[in-house]
Amino acid sequence: MLVFSRKRDEAIVIGDGVEVRVLRIGRDGVRLGIQAPTSVPVHRREIYDLIRAENQTAAQASVATPTALVARLRQAARAPAPGVGPAPAPRAPGAPDASSVAGEPPAPAARHRA
Amino acid sequence: MMTEPERSIDIDPEPTTRITVETRFGVFEADLRDMVTFPDGLPGFETCRRFVVLSSLEMAPIQCLHAVDGAPASFLAIDPRLVLPSYRSVLSQADKLRLGIADEAALLWLALVTVAEDNSGTVNLRAPIVINPARMTGFQVMPHNSLYPLRYPLGGSDRETEKG
Repeated sequence: MLVFSRKRDEAIVIGDGVEVRVLRIGRDGVRLGIQAPTSVPVHRREIYDLIRAENQTAAQASVATPTALVARLRQAARAPAPGVGPAPAPRAPGAPDASSVAGEPPAPAARHRA
Repeated sequence: MMTEPERSIDIDPEPTTRITVETRFGVFEADLRDMVTFPDGLPGFETCRRFVVLSSLEMAPIQCLHAVDGAPASFLAIDPRLVLPSYRSVLSQADKLRLGIADEAALLWLALVTVAEDNSGTVNLRAPIVINPARMTGFQVMPHNSLYPLRYPLGGSDRETEKG
């Protein structure tokens, strides 16, 4: 890691178009301004780490996920979400099984070209 | 004189772009032309720059986001609006510029599904995947602040246990 000491209003230039500037130094921490091209995502470290960990867990989960589990998740996905509208009614006996409903799958990413 | 009717040509002049994708959830047919580019991959999977979104009648409405390059990665995913109808786009101005969108309504949204040890599923509403079909590019949105949870229960947290 490169280490710099910067005073307020001083900046660091990274690569071709990223600039980090110290805007304010206070008791609560340092306020940083970031200038970067739109194509370069900028995130707080802890948010990135949080999402990364969750993505890794999600990918891991899929390793041991059998088809039957997917079927169960699919049924759960069709149940109404909590807090939305009236409480879901218990499924009536003899109601058609979700798997027997020939639903259209959501459209995959369309083949449009700009 | 009548013009000769067009004859169908048996030979496909284009090399096929259809591919067979083997995932943890089964084998899918996909088309290379449906490949989505993720310029920065995903957090934790930065080497995966190209994905396909796989669907099947058996799995719908759950889909599979599958990396075709980089580290092996397959994710279960679902449109967050199916899980939470009131779900709102969380795109910042910078996000919109990255997507290069003209029409926000045409965007595809996918929330990654995490399966817990008790085999219940949660969806990541905090950082959804957004795809612009007009450009076939996508990324994972990570708003600085979000009211949406990282693990929103799929199907409700007080789901009745299945009988029989």
